[in-house]
Amino acid sequence: MVYRVARVAFTFVMMNLAAVTGLFSLRRGPEVWK
Amino acid sequence: MELLFWTSAALIAYVYVGYPLLLAAWARMAPRPPKKYQFPAGHWPSLSIILAARNERSRLPVRVANLLTLPYDGPRELIVVSDGSTDGTAEAVAPFASRNEIRFVEVPAGGKPLALNAGVAIATGNILVFADARQRFTGGALSALVSNFADPEVGAVTGELILDCESGSSASSIGDGVGAYWKYEKWLRRNESLVRSTLGATGAIYALRRSLWRPLPAGTLLDDVLAPMRAVLGGWRVVFEDQAVAMDRTAPDAAAEARRKRRTLAGNYQILAQEPRLLLPIVNPVWLQYMSHKVGRLIVPWALVALLVSSVALTREGWLYSLALTAQAGFYALAAFGAWLEARDRQTGRRFATKLPVAIGKEAR
Repeated sequence: MVYRVARVAFTFVMMNLAAVTGLFSLRRGPEVWK
Repeated sequence: MELLFWTSAALIAYVYVGYPLLLAAWARMAPRPPKKYQFPAGHWPSLSIILAARNERSRLPVRVANLLTLPYDGPRELIVVSDGSTDGTAEAVAPFASRNEIRFVEVPAGGKPLALNAGVAIATGNILVFADARQRFTGGALSALVSNFADPEVGAVTGELILDCESGSSASSIGDGVGAYWKYEKWLRRNESLVRSTLGATGAIYALRRSLWRPLPAGTLLDDVLAPMRAVLGGWRVVFEDQAVAMDRTAPDAAAEARRKRRTLAGNYQILAQEPRLLLPIVNPVWLQYMSHKVGRLIVPWALVALLVSSVALTREGWLYSLALTAQAGFYALAAFGAWLEARDRQTGRRFATKLPVAIGKEAR
């Protein structure tokens, strides 16, 4: 159970980090998405 | 600083707890399910299935066969658009060339949105169905999607993407987290659909009235959000159909999932620039849902940082702030442990070894 909650917590943090890096990658241009 | 703390806490709580509760109550009190209708045989609308592919030679034969053999009692065509493929994608489609329903288009590499534009430009069906090369549709997917268009208010329909991690049969080292997130996300979409409209569609399986299609700008990251949201802005509904299913596998690890999420969230920022009308409540009929769900997800990361910083600054001001800081420290420690578990699984392949017998056991039943 703890393992599962830890994995979900990690995914939550990762997704929020992705929102921040997504903003900066948008500024850098489409080449970063390919 | 106290204002920053409480504003951040309230925003996070609203996005992940308040809004879902509000949505659940709204969907329960005033549900508006679409008026679906099983058309009589021979009266189903004509379909154009658009599949954009780049270097998908290995996947296309099975995928084309899947799309051509799905039961559907109306006319259909399948348009495969090769977006600058260099792996002989055309040869993969060649065995189907004798069938009238399939058309193959080659365009210079310009990205998925331009490939979709090229496909739709030659489409003749009244309903466009968008599909990717990797997934598979289940048997009744096309009929389930199209039956919603009997409702004259429905402009687009999104199907349900089921990931292998949702059943615990994924070898992905990030499967638990992604599976939990995806189930939560689909629950939101289902309820948003009941209230009025989902806030976009699933690129792997969605349908749109051809009359609502507007060519996508080059560089569009989320065609599956932009095209449906344009329909919503035009007063149409976009509904969720859980009987139209596409099956897919989960990203293999956290790095791959992070790339995918970064792209998705960058796309959510991009759409605000492409369609700023989405931010205007007098124009966007799903403004509250859009701000709560899509814009909220973009703001929450910054609110998390603000909450942490303000908690540190206020920790001597009262037990409540100390408790908040302790709770956050505990949560991030747990997330760090989760990151360690993911890295361990990725390196050792242990998760695959432990999950595979479960998957086989389920198949055997």
